[in-house]
Amino acid sequence: MRTIFIILFLFNSRLVISQGQSSMVNIKGGVFLPLYSLDSQKTEVKPFLMDVYPVTNADYKKFILQNSSWRKSKIKPIYADTNYLHQWNSDTSFAVNLALSPVVNISWFAAKKYCECQGKRLPTVAEWELAGRASETKPDATKDLKFNQWILNWVSKTSPKVLPNVGSTFKNYYGVWDLHGLVWEWTFDFNSALTTGESRGNSGLDNTFFCGGGSFASKDINNYASFMRFASRSSVKAKYGVPNLGFRCVKSKL
Amino acid sequence: MKKIILTLSFSTLLLFSCKEKEEKDCCKKDKSNTEDISKSVLFNESIHNLESRWVKQNKDSMSLGNLSNKITVAAMVFTHCESACPRIVADIQRIEKSFTPEELKNIQFLLISMDPLRDTPERFIEFSKEYQLNDDWICISSDENATMEIANVLNVRIKPLAGGGFDHSNVIHLIDKKGNIIFQQNGLAQEPAEMVKEIRELIRE
Repeated sequence: MRTIFIILFLFNSRLVISQGQSSMVNIKGGVFLPLYSLDSQKTEVKPFLMDVYPVTNADYKKFILQNSSWRKSKIKPIYADTNYLHQWNSDTSFAVNLALSPVVNISWFAAKKYCECQGKRLPTVAEWELAGRASETKPDATKDLKFNQWILNWVSKTSPKVLPNVGSTFKNYYGVWDLHGLVWEWTFDFNSALTTGESRGNSGLDNTFFCGGGSFASKDINNYASFMRFASRSSVKAKYGVPNLGFRCVKSKL
Repeated sequence: MKKIILTLSFSTLLLFSCKEKEEKDCCKKDKSNTEDISKSVLFNESIHNLESRWVKQNKDSMSLGNLSNKITVAAMVFTHCESACPRIVADIQRIEKSFTPEELKNIQFLLISMDPLRDTPERFIEFSKEYQLNDDWICISSDENATMEIANVLNVRIKPLAGGGFDHSNVIHLIDKKGNIIFQQNGLAQEPAEMVKEIRELIRE
């Protein structure tokens, strides 16, 4: 009997999730200090709305059904590499247990297009990081050792073969789920992650390694997880599909 | 120096159906079932696939597909920069000087702004005078979205700086008439021999 209840409960919460997929919550603005900021380059982030959950395979399928040029078989190679939607069996289908897990193997171009079609956009790095520093209870938990350790534990594990459903990690102070602990997420300006500047006459940006030279200038050397995100952003290209890289959308407040 | 040849898989050549305006309105019902087969078939890695609109220094509007009549030597720049951009323009001029007037008829030089707010057509005209750019040079800008998209297609990294400038990759791109990126010259003040050779090969084709 108890198990039935649990199953019912799970079923219900799934329904809630599947219906509330596109719901957004308010993130209050603030000041974000980029990881590498030689000149105390503070970024002012205006208040914005953020998707509560990362975009799921089921969500993405709805988009695909409306926009067939973004199907696996049809997507222009300029917009995605061959990993695109690798987890899907065909243009429009995937294993049932993937429906509510975050869509991954998705290029920046595809993520951007998806958000535009919802009347939304991809978050900037500053917006994402601002929302991402909230723990369950605090809007800014960057100094919270337990919170940082929790993120690091996730970062240090390999991703499971079948990614858990969205809504399975934690809901942060703003009401946003899964910013940490499920997948990495695309940002609009991920390609701003570079440590070598023209001032140093180094243009070999494809070879940018994030440790070494840049790290001394970091404002937050204890925040290892943000180094990881920085490294991840500086190592991907927009057409890449990566098995643990998904996305969610945001919207500016009018 | 890295030679990047984007191989084209002819087997998966796509019919270029949803280009242009209708796809922009992406939430509308898909029109692909009624696609017009007679539309021109494009190479699927071509930058001509991009739908964005751009404004030239003479205020004409264009899309990247309009670049198809010549070989294009392109770079992303911003005109308010003090060090690297003049150098990258000088690097392209060095490439330009390697060709005869006859050869130059096949080549156009394209500067794509990474600073759409400040690189207005007027500003580009001033810049063209300052650097003595002739009529073979096209300077274009668009909006933030299109700028980010082309940067990502060309794999150019751009980091806005506090003072209004940018840190960015210094890359000169060689694009053939079909819009394919044939070669990229990375870094400033590079010996352009390889780029020049690649351009000559394209002219001969």
